[in-house]
Amino acid sequence: MKRTFVMAGALALAALTMPAKADKLDDIIASGTLRCAVVLDFPPMGFRDENNQPVGFDVDYCRDLAKALGVEAEIVETTFPERIPALMSGRVDVAVASTSDTLERAKTVGFTIPYYAFENAVVANEKSGIESWEDMKGKTIGATAGTYEAIWIEGRLKEWGAGEFRPYQNQADVFLALSQGQIDATVSTVEVAEANVKSGKFPGIRIVDKAPMVPDYVGLITLREEYGLINYMNLFINQQVRTGRYQELYRKWVGDGEPADLTVKGVYR
Amino acid sequence: MFDTALTVNDLLFLARGAGMTLLVTAIAVGLGTLMGIVFGVVRYQVGPWWGAPLTFFLDIFRSIPLLIQLVLANAFVTTVLGFRVSGFTVACGVLSLYTAAYCAEIVRGGIEAVPQTVRRAARSLGMSWGQDMTHIVLPLATRVALPSWIGLALGVMKDTSLVFVVQVVELLKSTQILITRLQEPLFLLLICGLFYFLISFPIARFGGYLEKKWLAND
Repeated sequence: MKRTFVMAGALALAALTMPAKADKLDDIIASGTLRCAVVLDFPPMGFRDENNQPVGFDVDYCRDLAKALGVEAEIVETTFPERIPALMSGRVDVAVASTSDTLERAKTVGFTIPYYAFENAVVANEKSGIESWEDMKGKTIGATAGTYEAIWIEGRLKEWGAGEFRPYQNQADVFLALSQGQIDATVSTVEVAEANVKSGKFPGIRIVDKAPMVPDYVGLITLREEYGLINYMNLFINQQVRTGRYQELYRKWVGDGEPADLTVKGVYR
Repeated sequence: MFDTALTVNDLLFLARGAGMTLLVTAIAVGLGTLMGIVFGVVRYQVGPWWGAPLTFFLDIFRSIPLLIQLVLANAFVTTVLGFRVSGFTVACGVLSLYTAAYCAEIVRGGIEAVPQTVRRAARSLGMSWGQDMTHIVLPLATRVALPSWIGLALGVMKDTSLVFVVQVVELLKSTQILITRLQEPLFLLLICGLFYFLISFPIARFGGYLEKKWLAND
């Protein structure tokens, strides 16, 4: 009799100390809120409008995910270095924050398939006659010194053995030089290119082609062990592309071109 | 001519931030003072030996930086205990305990400042402990404690600028949001400082006024 009593006590204690373990997907649905970490000083992915409300591609993407889950979206502003700590300390459920899917990060957090990719565009002066990226051969090309795209184009020009490379201190100088015809073309991320063309500050330039560089793929992230949620989000990203919402958001926030292809040829995932 | 992109809308946004700062301060100072009075009286009454656990508990809140307290408390409540509470609740809870820890010391100091002879006189007139506390100790101790308490309230108001770590958009966070958008850091910080001054100055003056008024009655 006494032993059963002790056993019952031990069982009750075990039940008390053991946390009720539902996975994060269940938790989010049960709580009715999806908390997304979004970086809000990174237009057009995340920024604030004139009413200081968060807007941008990532903000809409989080809202779409919340809608799919049937819950409310809560945008939690984080900086780039704070994204993963916010996730680990439980302040947010997922980060929709343009996170590049590096293997180093994947040791800490769980990545979904890419939901966006940062590509590079060739922007040319209209008078230069450049129609595709190969036309840059033999032309004067400028870029911001030391950037990934500058190193890439300098390498191409060397390879072709024709053309001149001009480094500049910052992006604004590059576009000014391009607009004034001092250089024939430049290579920059599509988002920057679109924003500069749209701004109207640099007349006579246009986006002619995408540069064939490996895009910077970014994924949604959550805790490494939350397979249920990662699985759900993978399907969600697939549906976003399938339903055309991905293109719609791209047109809304980035520009009129085609959004990046999120698959890599010759390999799964 | 001085040029700024700041709009009336943005000023209202800052004012809402200031409102949040005031709200968090009011809750923290209100609850903190109530708890501080209870803790302070208990500590005085039970003596250093029996009061040791309480002293230790309060010392935790006094010695760990508030920023760390906020982050850890938030993680503990939401992740370990699994409660979905708002950052606002966590901020108010932590700041109240933080205020209480300081207030308890102020209260204890105030009580100790009342001369033992006065209290013995009160008891020998037949007053109960409660009557002694409310009619003798309370008015005398309040006069001693008021300046420190005003200082504490103003300190807590400025400490609320840390609650942004638990997603509460108060005055300083609102300013940072505008700085990110408008890229006018010095001008915006100037305005933010002005807002802080506008809400702290009346409290400081009110304290001065009370002190003067009570002095006249002595």
